[in-house]
Amino acid sequence: MSSALAYEASPAARSSNRVYPRRRRRVKGASIAIIVFLAMCAAFVSIPLYVVIVTSFKTMDQIALGEIFSLPTTWTLEGWWKAWAEVCSGMTCEGVRHGFFVSLAILFPSLFLSIALASVTGYALALWNVRWAGPFLFVLFMCAFVPFQIIMIPLVALTASIGIYGSIWAIAIVHAVLAMPLLTLIFRNFYKDVPPEIINAAIMDSGSFWRIFAEIILPMSGNIMIVVLILMITSVWNDFLIGLTFGGMGNQPMTVILANTVITERGEVHYNVDMAAALLTAIPPLVVYFGLGKFFVQGITAGAIKG
Amino acid sequence: MALRWSKVSPRLALIPALTVTLVAFAGAIGWTIWMSFTRSRRFPDYAIDHTLWARQYERLFSDGVWVTSLKNVVVLAIGSALAIVLGFILAAMIEKEKRGEGFFRTIFLYPLAVSLIVTGIVWRWMFNPALGIQNFLHQLGWESANFNWLADPATAIYGIILASIWHGLGFYMALMLAGLKSINTEIWSAAKLDGVSFWRLYVEIIIPMLKFTFLTCAILLSLGVVKTYDIVLAMTNGGPGTSTWTPAYFAINAYSTRSNIGYASAAAVIMLLITVAVFLPLMAITAWQARRREAAAI
Repeated sequence: MSSALAYEASPAARSSNRVYPRRRRRVKGASIAIIVFLAMCAAFVSIPLYVVIVTSFKTMDQIALGEIFSLPTTWTLEGWWKAWAEVCSGMTCEGVRHGFFVSLAILFPSLFLSIALASVTGYALALWNVRWAGPFLFVLFMCAFVPFQIIMIPLVALTASIGIYGSIWAIAIVHAVLAMPLLTLIFRNFYKDVPPEIINAAIMDSGSFWRIFAEIILPMSGNIMIVVLILMITSVWNDFLIGLTFGGMGNQPMTVILANTVITERGEVHYNVDMAAALLTAIPPLVVYFGLGKFFVQGITAGAIKG
Repeated sequence: MALRWSKVSPRLALIPALTVTLVAFAGAIGWTIWMSFTRSRRFPDYAIDHTLWARQYERLFSDGVWVTSLKNVVVLAIGSALAIVLGFILAAMIEKEKRGEGFFRTIFLYPLAVSLIVTGIVWRWMFNPALGIQNFLHQLGWESANFNWLADPATAIYGIILASIWHGLGFYMALMLAGLKSINTEIWSAAKLDGVSFWRLYVEIIIPMLKFTFLTCAILLSLGVVKTYDIVLAMTNGGPGTSTWTPAYFAINAYSTRSNIGYASAAAVIMLLITVAVFLPLMAITAWQARRREAAAI
């Protein structure tokens, strides 16, 4: 895990290790203080995850005792099963699994549409002489920061007028539209470092725009593809507002089902079921994060700064 | 033949992106701005009454809930700024200590992979007065401990701030860490040779060198705060009363619950104006950095 996350052991870090090899061995008072402080902050960050995990495995009888930090006396999967298959969201009582499959169904077209659109656009803007590329990039940069609310209502009207409102496609297309500016900028920043000689040689070799893209550019963009893929998987999976606004009644993604389940719960509240449902929703992006953390970090910093 | 196509194809390839920009961004923003001057309710009404064109905005700013929302954004921005400060402290410590860097970074960053809805639900459970942290503190013997923040209109917003800090801390830490690593190593050794004290090194040298990282963090934070919606919905659903409404919550509520397109559009336009006001410094920085990079290249 830690080696996967050491995404750039900076030259700075490496050279200082070499200059002061002894200093690092000695544990000084300041070092201990720093580690204690870091550990306390790490505890603050990890406590919620711990609490949610233990709560989800407890029985309601034990939860009622109010010992939020204690381990389950009897570990039970009852909460998990109820959250997956039985819990009620609004009128239907079929657990969060429906939302899980809707979220999956949204994820794949969103990824395909957004990456196809943004990579081709980024490639055209970076490597081909398009006269108004500069102003267009500037406009995209501004669009990347526009609050969703200002384009939400017309997009609802637009998707309704072409008859896809309330379907998975509406959600996927809106995701692709909203992600387009940022992803295009990320792709363009990556492709602009491709040496122009390669492209010139390829044009001489009678390579067309699309052939160069498919045969030269795509094979060399594996790294950026993974970064963008992870950025999109986490943001599409974790999205709530787009799913809520464009999903209608039948196509609500997992976050919407979860919110409906927990927030509109009536009568006796089953905290173990709530926490299991929350964990089920959080597991896919967490798996991506712990598995591919290095690319996740690159993605969020690329999305934040270079965007 | 190939050459001619190579001139046409890139332009053809840009058509989808241009269409999206013109329709879904420029067109949609224009439409919303137009709507904010009309008296549209459930359905769009394109007529503007020129004597009363600002009616939605007048209503908006005399609406107590909207004023609360604006105040909440300011409180949220100031409170969440703690995440930047703490993020810098953590990054500086990780950078100085280096032991366990990967471990701590993994821990501090994982909340970012969790959705805001899940974050809100988790923290709501922690704030539960009968079964959560408060009860735990009472059982420990600290009877007067009050951790039931979400139930009180005066403190609910601080509960949301705490959860936002938990969620965003690692992000600012990662940005700060990237900034710290870009600092020239010679500065550290020079400072060591000159016997510059730890505090002076950070306060007088490192922080001024990172001022643009700080500014970027502050702008990203403000842009995020303006959009605050999910976490409010999950933690308090705007309550108690209307004490934790935000402009984003207000705009969506005006549209989906009150079915008032004109009113929702006016709220969204003000959100856009706030974003633009925050965004302009970012543009200035980018331009400044680009110029600096060009100067360095020459």
